Amino acid sequence: MEPCIQLKQISKEFKILNRRQGLKGSIRDLFSRDYNIIKAVNSVSMDIMQGEIVGYLGPNGAGKSTTIKMMTGVLEPTSGEILVNGRVPYKNRTQNAQEIGVVFGQRSQLWWALPVIESFGILKDIYQIGDKNYKDMLDLYESLVDVKSLYKKPVRQLSLGQRTLCDILAAFLHNPSVVFLDEPTIGLDVSMKSKIRELIKSLNREKKTTVILTTHDMGDVDALCKRIVIIDKGAVLYDNDIDSLKRFFGAYRTLKVMFVNEPSGKNQELLEKTAVELPDQLKGRFPEMRYVSVSVNEEWIDILINEDEVPMMKVLNYMQEIRKIINVKIEEISTESIIKKIYEGGIR
Amino acid sequence: MSKAATPSLSKYKTLTRAGIMEALTFRASYVISVLGNLVYLVVIYYLWKAIYASSNVDAVNGMTFSDTMIYLVLAAALGNFLETYLVWDIGYDIQTGRIVLNIIKPMDFQVYTFFNYSGKYLISFFTTFLPTFILVYLLTGGAIVIGINILFFMVGVILGLLINFCIDFFVATICLYTQSTWGINIMKEVIVMFVSGAVVPLAFFPEPLKTIVGYLPFQAIYNTPLQFLVNESLTVNKCIEMLLWQVFWMVLTLAASRLFWKKSLKIITVNGG
Repeated sequence: MEPCIQLKQISKEFKILNRRQGLKGSIRDLFSRDYNIIKAVNSVSMDIMQGEIVGYLGPNGAGKSTTIKMMTGVLEPTSGEILVNGRVPYKNRTQNAQEIGVVFGQRSQLWWALPVIESFGILKDIYQIGDKNYKDMLDLYESLVDVKSLYKKPVRQLSLGQRTLCDILAAFLHNPSVVFLDEPTIGLDVSMKSKIRELIKSLNREKKTTVILTTHDMGDVDALCKRIVIIDKGAVLYDNDIDSLKRFFGAYRTLKVMFVNEPSGKNQELLEKTAVELPDQLKGRFPEMRYVSVSVNEEWIDILINEDEVPMMKVLNYMQEIRKIINVKIEEISTESIIKKIYEGGIR
Repeated sequence: MSKAATPSLSKYKTLTRAGIMEALTFRASYVISVLGNLVYLVVIYYLWKAIYASSNVDAVNGMTFSDTMIYLVLAAALGNFLETYLVWDIGYDIQTGRIVLNIIKPMDFQVYTFFNYSGKYLISFFTTFLPTFILVYLLTGGAIVIGINILFFMVGVILGLLINFCIDFFVATICLYTQSTWGINIMKEVIVMFVSGAVVPLAFFPEPLKTIVGYLPFQAIYNTPLQFLVNESLTVNKCIEMLLWQVFWMVLTLAASRLFWKKSLKIITVNGG
């Protein structure tokens, strides 16, 4: 099967003016020719099949949005080849636009002053959607999520969650083969998040739409994506399914420990102090330990270790020597910790 | 996927319709703009009254006081009708990165933008220009001749509108480079309003400036259609010549703005995300 999206050695460079400090600097900037070349995306390659949901992850400024803008045809790559449905997006921007949908979590494509259903009607005409297809799509929407009550409301009166929901529906309206979702759950409450995840999942299943999802919320990734691509400083760090990523980190465990409360009420302060000192103490005690990460999570202390290096029980015994423990939990590594480790350079 | 189920004109009509609906939602803004215009008109009335009082002759530069007033009142109404704040809007969209959502519509961006504003144009023609014109016509007791010149005026206004749109679009494209809107827009507004003859009739310009302005596209926005309305001495041949100049400027500004946008899009760094 032909991939729906193909990126071959895509790079994108930006020329950025070197800014100086202060008022004098700003004035000198006006005449400056002092540019820096920034490689926002550096030789990225990937193939994405029709119907996949791919989590496209990376820290802020990693080059995610730039890649997506190249796939939508807004930006032209500096070098490399890019194909979406067999077309070069920036050369065939209009035809490409007909077959993609986009949601930017923070910005709406809907008509601000008009009721939601009017925006849908406008999109129906702009994308030249046939009457039957349009009606079928609205029927599908109604069967998936309770939106009918929102249709008559002007977009500006919707809550952020309702608006995001409508924006997602708007992006799928013309039955595109690819939908780009850029942080769709940003700023939403827990129940709205899960509602939106369900919706994306069902639309992907019903319409076989390829979904490229960028997010910082690992809940989105766990709920939706089988495959993730991690990018940082413009280069791909990881591209495979989540399960093999978890297998890769299979020996990693999170040990969660809760100490007996200090009576003085200085508990939190003490916890923070312990967390800072703990890695060095542990490494001193266990010379074979190469990786450890300690963080405070409410009254819990989370210790992420590699069991191939030091067995969990040894660490627990050691913890007991420091302070009295009242509660213990052991967890498999979460996607969130894996991603954090990769961002911090742990996979290399 | 059946794409051609509805005729392709519908994508333009639907944007015009949306624009009309949006414009009607913000009807209060029209009341405000009409009021603001009245204040402006009172100011220019007394200003020009003082100018004519100090000159001791009836006609300055071939225009009587009432000629000048009719011209300026209609110019103000036309200005209200043609001003869409396109540069502000596109500048804002560039700064927030929202412009990406419009670029990836399956339509040419410039055409899409034009039809996005078309509803606003229609509504403000009927709410600002037409009432002002009727009022001026009634108050001056038929000082404006109604005849073939109205036809020339209608065509002239549409061409002027297109030229104005293309110049705005060109200026908005500059915002891609500067990432700021305010200064550029103020500069554009001052230059366009002045050299187009919207603030001071071109007849009052000194000879060298008049010649220079004659070679610029701006006078084709306001001066040409207004001349069709108020200047009774124009022959039909002269009117056709002026229309052809407008067509020339329209084609030129359209080509320039399209080319500039196309070139610019390749090197922009759209913000955000």
